[in-house]
Amino acid sequence: MLKVDNIRAGYSSVPVLKEVSIEVGAGEFVAVVGPNGAGKTTLFKTISGTVRPRNGRIEFDGIDLLAVKPSRRPHLGIAHVPEGRQVFPSLTVMENLEMGAYTEAGRRDWNANIERILGFFPVLSERRNQFAGTLSGGEQQMLAIGRGLASSPKLLMLDEPSMGLSPAIADFIFERLIEIRRQTKLTILLVEQRVAEALESADHGYVLEAGQVVLKGTNETLRADDRVRAAYLGM
Amino acid sequence: MFSVQVVENVLQSLSAGLLLGALYGLMCVGLALIFGVMRVINFAQGDFMMLGMYTAYYAFVALGVSALFGSFVGPYLAAFVAGPILFVAGYFIHQLLISRVSGTRTAQLEGEGHYAQLILTLGIALILENGGQIVFGSILHSVQTPLSSSAWKIGPIWGDMIEIFVNRARALAALLSVAIICVLAVVIAKTRLGKALRASADNPTAATYMGIDVDFAHRIAFALGVSITALAGGLLAPNYPFHPYVGLEYVIIMYAGVVLGGMGSILGAFWGGMTIGLVQQLSTLILPTQLQNTAIFVVFLLIIFFRPQGFFGRVVERT
Repeated sequence: MLKVDNIRAGYSSVPVLKEVSIEVGAGEFVAVVGPNGAGKTTLFKTISGTVRPRNGRIEFDGIDLLAVKPSRRPHLGIAHVPEGRQVFPSLTVMENLEMGAYTEAGRRDWNANIERILGFFPVLSERRNQFAGTLSGGEQQMLAIGRGLASSPKLLMLDEPSMGLSPAIADFIFERLIEIRRQTKLTILLVEQRVAEALESADHGYVLEAGQVVLKGTNETLRADDRVRAAYLGM
Repeated sequence: MFSVQVVENVLQSLSAGLLLGALYGLMCVGLALIFGVMRVINFAQGDFMMLGMYTAYYAFVALGVSALFGSFVGPYLAAFVAGPILFVAGYFIHQLLISRVSGTRTAQLEGEGHYAQLILTLGIALILENGGQIVFGSILHSVQTPLSSSAWKIGPIWGDMIEIFVNRARALAALLSVAIICVLAVVIAKTRLGKALRASADNPTAATYMGIDVDFAHRIAFALGVSITALAGGLLAPNYPFHPYVGLEYVIIMYAGVVLGGMGSILGAFWGGMTIGLVQQLSTLILPTQLQNTAIFVVFLLIIFFRPQGFFGRVVERT
């Protein structure tokens, strides 16, 4: 479904990604893990278009993604739940979800989606008319995920959904993600620093270090790898 | 003891202030829309208002609005002609010039292109002023309507002692301003376009992730902001004669109003403009007319001193 091929990208003269290639098949749950500054967020921004790569190719459903304007990419079915949540603080919870449903598919499926989203995150229902800026970090993360789901995506990209959250809330978010995937069979691309949880729920994964894929494989291979165990799982 | 004369003067100034304030409020809303959504400081806003005044003038005298609709309805219809025309002008000015130094193009730059924006909008202001002088000449123009020299009389009230006169042209302009702002408030609050504009203002990057074309949202906000201020200019034209440099007199008032209301708050800008109108008119009760603007800025500084975020400004940082 998504094929990132030999992407190089960076900011002004600082290269961040050096020939990164990843692949996400339809229905898969893929995790990209790695330390801070490895280029995980840049990889996501390249896919959704806020960073332009120097070279390489990105294909989504057979479409050359780099030829598509960033603001059109969500309409193709890519939902980007950004790092740090980035909800619209002066819009209400419902208005945030409506903005998630800005895509054609999102508008079409609004009624079914909203029921489902509020089912996953009942707290959003209680807070529906509250400004998103007044929500707690965990609630904002739920809203950001809900906003992504509201677009009726084919691919849900989650950038560090556990960032800045208490372990209990982060566990809850992970548990919900697994539930969302179980119910919707959505294709998910996850970037995470909580490597253990990320690899546990994913089908396969990539380890990104200093802008390069240093390791890839299935869930089991990665978790059995000595380097991963030493560096990320503390074993 | 209050003399009846004093009460009458206060009420008279109060009504004049409310009417003028409503028009100032409309002007400020146009500017606030641009600043709120785009974060661009538009120095040319006063000159777009000037263009609105001239457009209304020429629509009235040359396009036959006056011949067709007479001099009662005509001037107001002409103002509503100026709005859409300046919308189109604003749309293309954004496309040709402003978008080069704002929006997603400069989002990654240091200062988000603010320096270039300042120079660009100042340049546009100069071109419009000097171009205006070439095209329109430097003599004062005004839209002639019998309404601007006639008044409704309220009263006599309070035992036949107090009578207030309300200028008909100003009253009509104020009512229309309030109506336009109500429509705009509903559009911003309830429609998909309005929500997309607010989302783009809150977080342009996240708005892009939602599939909103932020540059297009900016273009609409700019065109709408220009056209609203131009419309306010058109509504002002029957009462205030104008010249190509008239924008300078109003752009300061507009900025004061927007800052008072709270930078970025669209409804706040209306109340900011209203405050300025009221202060300007009420100050004439105790100060010479020449000190009107001094009074405005003394009050402005006082309010900003005690409430730096303005009436409706949010203290929280944007995420």
